[in-house]
Formats: sequence, C-alpha cells, structure tokens
Amino acid sequence: MRVRRMDVADIPAVLAIERASFADPWTEALLRDELGRDDRVWLVAADAGRVVGFGGVMVVGADAHLMDLAVTPEERARGTGRTILWSLAEAAVKMGAERMTLEVAPSNTEALGLYRSSGFDIAGRRRGYYPKTGEDALVMWSRPLAPHVAAMRAAREGSDIILAIESSCDETAASVMRGGREGLADVVASQVDFHARFGGVVPEIASRKHTEAIVEVVERALESAHITLADCDALAVTIGPGLVGALVVGLAYAKGLSAATGLPLIGVNHLEGHLYAARLSDPGLEPPLVALLVSGGHTMLVHVPEWGRYRVLGGTLDDAAGEAFDKVAKLLGLGYPGGPAISRLAAEGDPHAIAFPRPMLRSDDLNVSLSGLKTAVIHYVERERREGRPLRLPDIAASFQAAVTDVEIAKTLRAAQEYGAHAVVLGGGVAANPALRGGLRSALSAVGIELNVPPLELCTDNAAMIAAAAHDSLAVGRFLGLDADAAPDLALRGNRCACGDRQEI
Amino acid sequence: MPSGFTTRSARETRNAGAALAPLLRAGDVIALSGDLGAGKTQLVQGIARGLGVESAVTSPTFNLLMVHRGGLPLYHFDLYRLEHVEELDDIGFYETLESDGVSVIEWGDRFSHALPAAHLLVVIHRRTDDVRDFELVPHGERAGQLASAWVDAVETQGHR
Repeated sequence: MRVRRMDVADIPAVLAIERASFADPWTEALLRDELGRDDRVWLVAADAGRVVGFGGVMVVGADAHLMDLAVTPEERARGTGRTILWSLAEAAVKMGAERMTLEVAPSNTEALGLYRSSGFDIAGRRRGYYPKTGEDALVMWSRPLAPHVAAMRAAREGSDIILAIESSCDETAASVMRGGREGLADVVASQVDFHARFGGVVPEIASRKHTEAIVEVVERALESAHITLADCDALAVTIGPGLVGALVVGLAYAKGLSAATGLPLIGVNHLEGHLYAARLSDPGLEPPLVALLVSGGHTMLVHVPEWGRYRVLGGTLDDAAGEAFDKVAKLLGLGYPGGPAISRLAAEGDPHAIAFPRPMLRSDDLNVSLSGLKTAVIHYVERERREGRPLRLPDIAASFQAAVTDVEIAKTLRAAQEYGAHAVVLGGGVAANPALRGGLRSALSAVGIELNVPPLELCTDNAAMIAAAAHDSLAVGRFLGLDADAAPDLALRGNRCACGDRQEI
Repeated sequence: MPSGFTTRSARETRNAGAALAPLLRAGDVIALSGDLGAGKTQLVQGIARGLGVESAVTSPTFNLLMVHRGGLPLYHFDLYRLEHVEELDDIGFYETLESDGVSVIEWGDRFSHALPAAHLLVVIHRRTDDVRDFELVPHGERAGQLASAWVDAVETQGHR
C-alpha cells in the first residue's frame, strides 16, 4: 500500500468510496474544485494501483481541518485509514499546521475509534450538523501534530526513545527504551532505596504509595538513562487491566507529563506488555506464537498470529496459578511469597507421593481450574492431621506442584500444536517455577517447538515491556487522548489493544 | 436466631448464589467469611451468573477488586492480601460500596469495623469435604429481609 497525492484521474474511484461510506457524499464538482487549491492536501492510498482509501485536509494558519477520510469497506480495520490520517498530518505540519480538528458522527463508531485511538480528544458537539440525517457532529482535536509525526518517523527508523510507566498492581516502574528493544534504564520501585528518602519501607499494595513513588521512579529512570524529558520522543503508560486505584496514578502522571511537554502518549495493555517481554529477551522471536501467562493475578493462554494481534484461547476459571501457590504455601505454613517456597520444598519431595486431582486435564477446551485442587490439598492436610500422621511437606509440595504443572503443560502443548506455533512464550511471575519451565521445555522440544522464557526481571511486572509494546503502537500512530480513562478490566484481543477505541462519550 | 442453609457440592453453592441474585439491588453489601476452600468464589460465581454476567468470574485475590457488568454492576472484592485498614482507601473500597452496584467482599470479616452499618455477613462453615453450612448474619433491616428471602429462595430451589 502506498500513499500519494490525489490526481484528477483518481476522482471516479474516490467518489465510489465516498458514496459507499457516507449518507451525504461529496460531489464530483466539489472534489475537482478542492484539488486546485493550495491550502489543501488530498491523498489517496493505492494498493496494486487500485485506490483503497483517501482523505483531504485544509490548512488555515495553525489549524488543519480534516475535510474527509474514507476507505473501501473491505479495507477497513487494517490500518489504512490511520496511515492516511497521519500522512495528512505530516503534510499539514509542513504547511505550518500545529493541530488538527475534525467533525465525526457519533454513530460512525469505526471512524470515532480511529480518531480516539490516534489521540484525538472530543472537544464539543455541533447540533444537527449533518443536513441529510439531522445527526449531531462531535468536534475532535488532535494533540500537537509535529511531535507525533516526528516520533512516528523515529519509531519507523528504530531510533525512538520512549519513557514508559507501569503501575497496574503492586510495582511502580519506569523504563527508558530506544527503538523498542534497547533498554536505557529500568527502575522498579521495590528496588529503589526508599528507606533513605522516605524513612520507611514501601508497602506493596497501596496506590497512595504509587503516588509517593512515581516522581522518584521516573526521575531515576531518566537519570540512569542520562537523558531528560526533552530527549524523549513519546510517553507510554499501562492503562489496564489491573487495579483501578493503581492504574490511575500512572495514567494521571503520564497525562500530566504529556500535557506539559506536548509529547505523544501511548496506552499499553499490561498483558500485551508481557508478550513483548519475550521479544526483548529474544529480538528474533517471530509469530505465530502461543503464550502462557501465569502470575498471581493471571493464568491464560494467548495466540499471537502476528505482533499486535491477539486471541485469548483459555484461562483459569477460578484461581490464578500464582494465587494457588500462595494459598497452599500459607496452608502449609511456608510463608510468603508461596511460589518459591513451594518449589524449593518440592525439589526434595516425590511428585507422585499423593495423587491430587488434575482438574480439567481432559476437558475439551483450553481452560484450567485450580480452585478444586487447592481444596483437595486442604482436605488432604486436614485428614492427615485428624488421623495424627505427620505431614510430609516436601511430598505435598511436590505433588501439588506436579498437578498444577501437568495441567498447564498439557493445555499449552495442545494450544501450541492446534495453532501451529513456532514458539511458546512463558511469561508472568510463575515462569520462575523450575518445574514448570523444565516440564514445558521438554514437552515442547519433543514436538519440535521452542520455548522462550524471558529473564525473571522481565517476567514480573516491569516498564521495559510496556515500552517495547508502545514502540510498535507508535510506529503505526496509535495514541491515547488526554481524556482516556484507566481500563481495569481491559481485555486482550483484536488488533493491538483496544486502547482508546472504547466509545464512551 | 441465626438463619442459613446447607449445600452439598460446589454446584449447589453456585446455585445458592444464583438464587440470591434476583433479590439484590444497588447498594447491597454482602461480606463473606470462611476458610480457604470454603467456596467463597464459587458463591460469587453463582451470584454473577444470576446477575447475567457473561465474563468469567475468577478469584480477585491478587487484583483485589474485579468489576463485572451484569444486570447490576458486581463489585467483587477480596481482602485476603490486605494488611492495614488504610489500604481500603487506596483500593477505592468505600466509594465503590456506595456506588451503583452490588458489592461482594471475600474475607470481609478481616476488616469488620470497616464494613458499612448495613450489610449481610455470610459465614461459611466447612462441615465435610463437600458439605458447607451457610450462616447468615444480617446487619440492618434490609439485610434481614434479604437473608430471609434468600433462605426461602434456596429452599424453593431445593424442592424443585
């Protein structure tokens, strides 16, 4: 697909797309008149010589007014509209434009989604704007165009510097990254010496603590990358899923930085970040992939046919894997965090000693259930105690761990084979479990599928993975507007994350 | 006199939850108490099903709060991981309880002083591997009505 200036010869094809797209289409005479004016830019997107989309912009002083933008129905949701939009913005910047405005019908959800996810904010409403339908128009304004256009160019050349912030759950983290792959700084709050600064420990959960930590964490990241905000091309932030009180701290801070500096803002799905962590540890990693994300809060299998496209294949119906480890560890009196405690103890035990159930091992889907297993361990422990037998903790730990890993490995193997994955990515904090890594690696290597496990600091929550995912969004011009909300229940699906595509007006 | 009911499987626990759903209205607060494996999440899965929630209802232990969209919004809290009562402020606990939906709080008894004056406490006792006794402890008039209507609904369900 190539974007070029519109020519008179393109008019019939353009009018056909126009008529297929709008109730109130432009006429040929109007369009011909437009092409002769020097304060206008009209572009077409052509695929193998065929016009598949077009758009036009009028520049008046510092304002660019988007006149029209449409793509053929079959070309929609493939990024063509976004490419035309940012090509128009680039041309408008050259003509002195600083911002772009447009009108869009609230019922035109595809267009509205495109503009919102390109960082346009809704600024007002014109009543009865469309004469044929009588429908209102929403008035939208872009953020400052020049920094967005420059950052996108840098991302395509691989030289973009992104400052990313992550605060979706317990950790406050910031990272600086060049070209989506080269980490310049990576700071996680729990690693920062807060004792000296605040005279106390940083409790894990409090979103108030995110508020206290975030300024320091971002400054440390910039310092250790030896840059200032002025050297950054864009800002990125996790917008979901996670705990709303925690997410809003990172989002509000990132919006503030963005508003103050004019830097573009990119919203990242936390789960997408976990997938990009794998690309950071192996830059050559190429889809199709299947990923098993296992942590305290998540247990899911994801199909990645290409970077930016995701489908959740299955997940836990009740407890997440990390949660099951923690709860069983507590039951056995092993302390917190439970994962490492169980796996240490399991190394000395017999995984076949106790036949704990493998829930859903043979179910016909890719879901797992761990709550019943947790209950089975509780029952076992109570029975042993009741009957006065000493608990063989290493055997319980080993047998419980074997039940969890057996189910996870079986489902992952099945997903990888069903979806023809070249490689399987193991992400999330539970990826640290040696039995899961080892078991998964040998099961996959038996069928010739590679296993990618990022180093632990990339498996747990971090901002480097957010920066890596943001780089790909930046290259195609997906941004967050300043009116974006945190999305605590954001799903992982479709074309890139649904960031900014939500229609809440 | 305490009221309550008994379930004999995880499935019956979910059905009991579903029986509560049509009785709920915005602002209701249900606090759950019971050991690990008592069936708290199962009960909430049933309530969610009864409210018409389509997304999977998983344990919120790590996320602390999960929001589900059904006929009424369902705010599913889990206070297992919290240590200090001040942390409730940080997770938006009080605002959420007063908002537009139903709040169900696993491990609600950990911070019983922080619960609103009006709430229904459900204490789950594990009798044997599968059998659970649900003891309903209403606080306030509304919770009392809810408790007796729920017991009736579960009994009707059992006799069908």
